[in-house]
Amino acid sequence: MASSTFAPRIPALQVAEEKYSAQLVPDANGIRVVIRGTISTVNPAVVLNPFVDAVHAHAIETGAKEVRVDLTSLEFCNSSGFKSFIHWIERIQLAPAAKRYQLRFVSTNERRWQRASLLALSCYGVNIVVVEGA
Amino acid sequence: MSQPDVGGEAPIQLFMRMNPPWRFIDEIRRFVESFCACASLDPDREAQVALAVHELMQNAVPQARGEAIELHLEVDARADRVLIRIVNRCPEEEFLALRDRIDAMRREDALAHYLTVMKEQPSSVRGGLGLARVHFEAQLDIRVRRPSADRVIVEAEGPLRAPRLTTTGGHHG
Repeated sequence: MASSTFAPRIPALQVAEEKYSAQLVPDANGIRVVIRGTISTVNPAVVLNPFVDAVHAHAIETGAKEVRVDLTSLEFCNSSGFKSFIHWIERIQLAPAAKRYQLRFVSTNERRWQRASLLALSCYGVNIVVVEGA
Repeated sequence: MSQPDVGGEAPIQLFMRMNPPWRFIDEIRRFVESFCACASLDPDREAQVALAVHELMQNAVPQARGEAIELHLEVDARADRVLIRIVNRCPEEEFLALRDRIDAMRREDALAHYLTVMKEQPSSVRGGLGLARVHFEAQLDIRVRRPSADRVIVEAEGPLRAPRLTTTGGHHG
């Protein structure tokens, strides 16, 4: 069982709007982000991009090889919210090669849109995006 | 595989007129998904149609300037077709820009165009990705026309069963 005792020290990172939240959570296996709810506001990037930037900075600082992004509780993400994942990939692409890490998206079959969306993201972030079914 | 049983030969239709739709857009998406389930579309297609309705309505909201937006949805088993039609007010310059974007999209492979738009659209600015997303992820053809001087019709259409998406990029573990 994961315990924060053995997890690397992590900053308290969490953002939320009325219908969704994104949180960096303790995980013995590395950095894990959990995104919950429904991302459907007009411009979620205002909230999500600074969160992505902070997690990215933490991943670079700690020399992470992978960040797990748990989408299993994400009901829906509009295209404006989807842009924050694109932003994340671009931040990794801009990092020095030795500092780059993979984004492992953990998805669920219960949210059918996730498969096609993550397929497209994996084409955009070749060698960066890994898609894992729940 | 057999065609979905959609209750006879007549197309199944849904019509909604909403004002203002923004705060209800999640409910509309969920309703459309349930509607498609009742019309016996497969679960992947239900989600694709719901995603398309969400994105097209989201695009329509700023164009409509607070006026009503109409949604027509048709599931036609005999024609092997699902059709989404969004009708709203739209200023001329926005119609022309929309038409140009759709024309550009139709000239290119859906995934190639989607990746191009991902690269070109600033991630910090809202909008610009929805049409390409609908075209690739929902596997629907999109067209636009002007029924009158100040209104626009955007239609997204495709078969009842979309072919399975495949790509060569990334890892899927």
